[in-house]
Amino acid sequence: MADVPEIRPSDPRRPLPRARDPRRNIVEGLVRIGAMLAGLMIGVGALGTRLIAGRPLGVATFVALYLALTLCIWGLNGFAFRRLPLTGPLLFLFSAAAFGVLFLIGYLLGGVAGPFVLDAVSRIVPYLKLADGVFYLFAVMTCAGAGGCAFSRNIIYSAWSLLFALLGVAGLYVFLGADFPAVAQVLIYIGGVLVLILFAIMLTKQIGEDPKLTNAHVGFPAGVALAVVTIATLTYTAVMAPWKIVAERSWEPTAGPLGIAFLTDYLLPFEVASVVLLAALVGAVVIARKEIKETSDVTS
Amino acid sequence: MSSIGLPHFLIVGAILFALGMVTVVTRRNAVGILMGVELILNGANVNFIAFNHFVEGPGRLTGQVFSIFVIVLAAAEAAIGLAIVLAIYQTFRTIDVEETDLLRE
Repeated sequence: MADVPEIRPSDPRRPLPRARDPRRNIVEGLVRIGAMLAGLMIGVGALGTRLIAGRPLGVATFVALYLALTLCIWGLNGFAFRRLPLTGPLLFLFSAAAFGVLFLIGYLLGGVAGPFVLDAVSRIVPYLKLADGVFYLFAVMTCAGAGGCAFSRNIIYSAWSLLFALLGVAGLYVFLGADFPAVAQVLIYIGGVLVLILFAIMLTKQIGEDPKLTNAHVGFPAGVALAVVTIATLTYTAVMAPWKIVAERSWEPTAGPLGIAFLTDYLLPFEVASVVLLAALVGAVVIARKEIKETSDVTS
Repeated sequence: MSSIGLPHFLIVGAILFALGMVTVVTRRNAVGILMGVELILNGANVNFIAFNHFVEGPGRLTGQVFSIFVIVLAAAEAAIGLAIVLAIYQTFRTIDVEETDLLRE
């Protein structure tokens, strides 16, 4: 039946013969997802119980793993590699091949790499500390956010990367015992500045503009070279300079002492900062307001 | 005592500063340039607070006070800068800094 039959308006209940029923599609997808999950559960369960009990893998385990892999592949075939007609014996052949490959990989991992990795981990673990891990987490988050902000092609992605950079910096502040600056960072930068930036992006984007082109670069290699040189110089300074580091650390909350410092030692800068903020807010309103011209009746 | 010392924080600050500078230098979008300025200020702030913690010692808060002032000025700068960007956009219909090279309409 080559020609597509017409839809008869007199019989709206009958679906198109060539089109696939969406409900059947959904059911088939659910069945395949269920098969995948069942395969995963069987495989992980069989392997896990054997490994936890410490017993060697028997024939029954291998058969169960093979069946689980077959189920997984059948389920996966509904979503990926749909060109491959994995039905009937071909499916079992394919899954046998995959099982063989996985068996080899697992044998190598378990027999060769496993003891080595366990040995290395047992040597490294005593040197790891949770605090160091948290620091590196925040540091990587900050640097990755800054890198995304600097190199992303899409300005919206840049703004979201900036969010991660600011959050990571707030975490570093906590790490340095500066609780009030950390909270101020989250409130002012993320709650204020980032929202302003997102508003500005959305107000200045033209509809239909290609988002890939909204964040173009000029002189990109020169910029990367500049970054490398700057990071190298500043890192050399930071590592080599003889900083006079005091021995004791304070982890006291700093909000109270900061407030006292602002109202005693730093009173004049504090007041000047408030005036600056007021002037900035009024100035921002004046600048960004839409100017109503005298000749506004003439549409330009 | 943790093995994380002052150089770790200074290096993070340096990376923030350098990436912010790259953003300022290479971006053509004015909002992107303002984001780079925020990154630079954050790098400076990390240095302030790290020095306050490691060099100034307990009971002294000059670095934290400075960081608060930096945050305040960054907020003011962002408000003014984005207002200027919006004004430029209303005039030129673009915020590409290579094309907005006139101070008048």
